[in-house]
Amino acid sequence: MVHPRNPGMSMAKLRRAALAVAASLLSATAFGQSIAPPASAAPQDLKFAQFFRQPVGDRGLQLSETLLSAQGQQVRLVGYMVAQEQPQPGRFWLTPRPVRMSEHADGEADDLPASTVTVLLDPAQRERLIAHRNGLVVLTGQLQVGRQEDGSGRVSWVRLQLPPQALEDAPSAGGAAGAAGAHAH
Amino acid sequence: MKKLSPMLVTAGALMGLAATAQAAPTVTRLTPPSEMFASGRPDPVIARFLPGQRFDLQATIKPDAGQRISAARFFIDGQAVDAAVALRDCASGCVKGVSAETAIATVRAVSLEKAGRHEFSIEATQADGQKVTARGNLEVVPFTAAMGPKVKNIIILLGDGMGAAQRTAARIVKGGYAQGKVIAPLAMDTFPATALVKTASLNSVVTDSSPGMTAYVSGNKNNNNEEGVFPDDTVDAFDNPRIEYLSEYLHRTQGKALGIVTTADVFDATPAGNAVHTSNRGAGTGIVDQFFDDRSRTGLTVLLGGGRKWFLPAGTPGSERAEGNDYAFSATDPHTAEIVKRWGAAPGAKDKDRDLIQAFQSAGYRYAPTRTALQAATDGAGADKLLGLFAFSNMNVALDKIDGRRGAAKGITGTVVDDYGFPDQPMLDEMARAALSTLKKQPKGFVLMIEGASIDKQAHNMDTERWMLDTLEFDRAVQVAQEFARENGDTLVIVTADHECSGAALIGGSMLTDQALQEAAQKKGVAHLRDKVVGVYEKAGFPRYRIAADGYPEATDIDYRLLVGYGANADRYEDWRTNTTPLRDSQQPLAKSEPLKWYPPVPMERDDAFGEYLVTGQVPGESAVHTATDIPLSAFGPGALAFTGVIDNTDVFFKLAQAAVKGTTAPADATGAKRPAKATAR
Repeated sequence: MVHPRNPGMSMAKLRRAALAVAASLLSATAFGQSIAPPASAAPQDLKFAQFFRQPVGDRGLQLSETLLSAQGQQVRLVGYMVAQEQPQPGRFWLTPRPVRMSEHADGEADDLPASTVTVLLDPAQRERLIAHRNGLVVLTGQLQVGRQEDGSGRVSWVRLQLPPQALEDAPSAGGAAGAAGAHAH
Repeated sequence: MKKLSPMLVTAGALMGLAATAQAAPTVTRLTPPSEMFASGRPDPVIARFLPGQRFDLQATIKPDAGQRISAARFFIDGQAVDAAVALRDCASGCVKGVSAETAIATVRAVSLEKAGRHEFSIEATQADGQKVTARGNLEVVPFTAAMGPKVKNIIILLGDGMGAAQRTAARIVKGGYAQGKVIAPLAMDTFPATALVKTASLNSVVTDSSPGMTAYVSGNKNNNNEEGVFPDDTVDAFDNPRIEYLSEYLHRTQGKALGIVTTADVFDATPAGNAVHTSNRGAGTGIVDQFFDDRSRTGLTVLLGGGRKWFLPAGTPGSERAEGNDYAFSATDPHTAEIVKRWGAAPGAKDKDRDLIQAFQSAGYRYAPTRTALQAATDGAGADKLLGLFAFSNMNVALDKIDGRRGAAKGITGTVVDDYGFPDQPMLDEMARAALSTLKKQPKGFVLMIEGASIDKQAHNMDTERWMLDTLEFDRAVQVAQEFARENGDTLVIVTADHECSGAALIGGSMLTDQALQEAAQKKGVAHLRDKVVGVYEKAGFPRYRIAADGYPEATDIDYRLLVGYGANADRYEDWRTNTTPLRDSQQPLAKSEPLKWYPPVPMERDDAFGEYLVTGQVPGESAVHTATDIPLSAFGPGALAFTGVIDNTDVFFKLAQAAVKGTTAPADATGAKRPAKATAR
């Protein structure tokens, strides 16, 4: 059986890299903090903490001006891919904290935060399943804000439409295939 | 989406045994389920009911090709059932594989008073005059002579997925051991009576939470993913044959109130499995609507948990309401119209724009969105009815709620609960206390279900420390219930689980300090992370967790920690340390911006993969799974001593009902009682 392994990165190197990421994340996480105007055609950096008024309050979400004004714009999000037991082709979720799903046992009684973003692949790639990866990922795409019900009846309020080049051209032959083989019973 | 069960196929294959006439039309399903119908054997009796407990009769009949079923009658003990039979075909709305001309015959809300076994049957007539009959059996379980008074209140504490390993781990963490003796026992360890419970569902030795709960409060086996109903052949999630719940039975016959408290989304299987009838545990909009719509039938007085997203009108950001998972019964089609007519159920409506919080408030429920509001709702005279929705889906787990509270006390923000937007969530014991202070005003008594939901959810994740702390949180709620029962001599309390989860096993203790464990993770691999860490037998010693004033460990990453293995695990990397999830943790991996990999997905990657100690799993997928092992049940208060032996999960229902309807059948255990058991006015 072949199992995937993380690339051999020294802990010290990993820490330095992680600290750099952490510092960049800390730079603009406060709600309402203005973001420097993006350079022409450059995507806007958007933080989960900027999506709606925090704390949530007594009823629904109060979407922020920052989020609403980014509607239709190219934005860059940094978050965690939700680890799904039953991933859906063409889409996955991005959250500010790592979340694992046990759909078979728990269904929609899940641990997804209200700020969960539904990430959509290019329509031509809607049949593809995305490999989960641990740690933070950086995604750039077009932001969509508003209620949308998918075919399963699940409702999303914030979506990120990825461009076609967000995917590798083909599955990697190493770990991914090996992992699939690992579960052949 | 429902599937035809293997049992149905078997039933069809064995139809020759079941049908008394060798007619061409065939009965492919007969409900309530019975071995008499499925295999021709009279034993074991599958469906059992209390005297007067209501249930539906149903049959699926397949006619000859080109024919149709023109009439159907049900009989019980040879006597025709005196109620209208709703007859529909399967031209639309039935599961795959069922032909359009197939008929479904249903009689709603029948009941039997006479104790003992009963035979029931269906006689269906085809348009050309051919008839087919099939029979099954069921049992009405008699109440027995009481030795003690009736209990006024029932409290069911359900640790979801809480097997013996979870209970023991919580005891080691909270109570500590000195030379093999427990220093401070769990509250649930002080309950005088214990039973071992068999947890199988109607269609598997491995149950999920829906039938796991409903067995306790309906006395019957349900299929996985279904609650308060028997399986059928339609796709409608709300039209299945129903079984009356304990809450409905005791509200109808005694006026008792119902309270539901959970750390999960309130639409989740366990809470819904006390009041809602559906074959789709995921039908959130319909489930929460039915909580409210049928409150006059269940006595729902307290509902506390997460799941606010289902209560917000569809236009409100964050709402999850959708008409696709709502319910509405037809006014004209007897198949569902009879549910309204004979059960007295609300007709429902496809109303995604409904403001359900407002509906509860208009009906007199005090709404609490936070812990602060929950406390205010119980100040002074307190609310008479209570709705608390403290999160959008599941509430955050105990470890994260406690971290948030400790952080807030030090002025630290940015904790998990802050990121979720709900920094002021109550702990389960605080919710239990609020529920009891509200329900104790009910003159006829109450049934209260309190669920520690994420014991299970975090075991699925194999997140050891999080399920440990959720078990501690649950035990604090057990203590609240026990104190209430001690104060009042009229309350029966049981602590149980719906099933075991993850096959957790306490394999020993770490032989390393936490610092050395972190260094071992950097050295990587089995040699460092298993062979040098896992202390078995006497090398495990007695892990010592220091408990803070708030009742939870000061730290979970202690030296010489308790180690847990999993017997029902997916592949996982293990580093033994608490799974950290902070966005701002210096240990976090580098953010990746390269293109995403696509199918086939790479499993198992998580935040403790850097030690490269892979534990190969025995189940496919990403999560640990429920297991079929029996679970322990503990009981306290009058009637407690009826809960002994190795019992079926459905037996629990009859023992609870006996205590509440007729009186206790075993000597009351007075351990710790501040007053003797008192009789409830009839």
